[in-house]
Amino acid sequence: MSESDTSTQPVQDPDQDMLVGSPAERAAEKTYGLSEIPPEELPLLPGELTAHPSPVQYVIIAMILVVVTAVEVGVSYLEGDIPDGLIIVLLLGMGLFKFVVVASYYMHLKTDRPLFRRLFIMGGVAAVTLYAIVLTTLHFWSNTG
Amino acid sequence: MEQVATSPGQHGGHEDHGTGTGLSNAKLAIWLFLSSECLLFGALISTYLLYRDRSQGISADDVYNIPFTSATSFILLMSSLTMVLALAAIQRGDERRLKIWLIATALFGMTFVGGQIFEFTEFVREGLKIETNLFGSSFYLLTGLHGLHVTAGIVWLLSLWGLASQGRLTQRDSEKVEVAGLYWHFVDVVWIVIFTVVYLIPR
Repeated sequence: MSESDTSTQPVQDPDQDMLVGSPAERAAEKTYGLSEIPPEELPLLPGELTAHPSPVQYVIIAMILVVVTAVEVGVSYLEGDIPDGLIIVLLLGMGLFKFVVVASYYMHLKTDRPLFRRLFIMGGVAAVTLYAIVLTTLHFWSNTG
Repeated sequence: MEQVATSPGQHGGHEDHGTGTGLSNAKLAIWLFLSSECLLFGALISTYLLYRDRSQGISADDVYNIPFTSATSFILLMSSLTMVLALAAIQRGDERRLKIWLIATALFGMTFVGGQIFEFTEFVREGLKIETNLFGSSFYLLTGLHGLHVTAGIVWLLSLWGLASQGRLTQRDSEKVEVAGLYWHFVDVVWIVIFTVVYLIPR
């Protein structure tokens, strides 16, 4: 076997060119975690308009959701101390806040094409409207009032 | 003018799904599916609200264990965090962390379903069966169907984890993880509504 055809050339990985970030960032990513390559450097996913939040931002969002959930549970224990109507308004408000935060940041409706947001809002609004009518027809509000 | 990733070059070599809308079929399909699911869960939540206080015998106040359900809600919330971290990992080409976060999400989901099975077992022991009254029927139907959705999500996550373990889920497959994540987060937001409306709001 001649020396010329021995495999002294480095093996070319076809995926290497696709990898995001600089080699230094990729090395730091491997060592330290998921936030070394800024989201802005990542290739956009289909339908994405701007970059997703960074992993650190995801963790901060999760902490906010946990705190709001804890407050929600605490408020539910105030039954009898404050009017039920106020408890219901507070709980629905916090529930809606959590819903919007998860849909906006974890489901990326904030950074994706508006069409996805419209589809989801259409489903949600249709559901709320339809079942509000159904509950009204069946005298739900007068019975709970 | 808005820049939108629609071609392979723009989104790092993901398969291009040329459609009339310029959007991928998978993502459009999952959003249409989730939109229709809003109506399904809306129907079940309305049914529960309607029948909750119109039943004879055992009621919600007799059986609910708010601290326990709060703990399982916390677990499901954390699973949403690990799910987005899995997506962040595959977008960065970090297949090791992708596998860790996918299996963590599946384990959180299994813990949630396990908690739900425990809760149902306790309720049955206290006398609330699906045929006991209208409250029982509507409660088990709503929360049970949600649990089935979580179970389907777990199967989906485990299949992705299996692919990742075989090296068949790489950065160019980021969209597959994103679509699974959208389903998983939807299951989470539905639970946010159920937890507030079914468990926390005073009767």
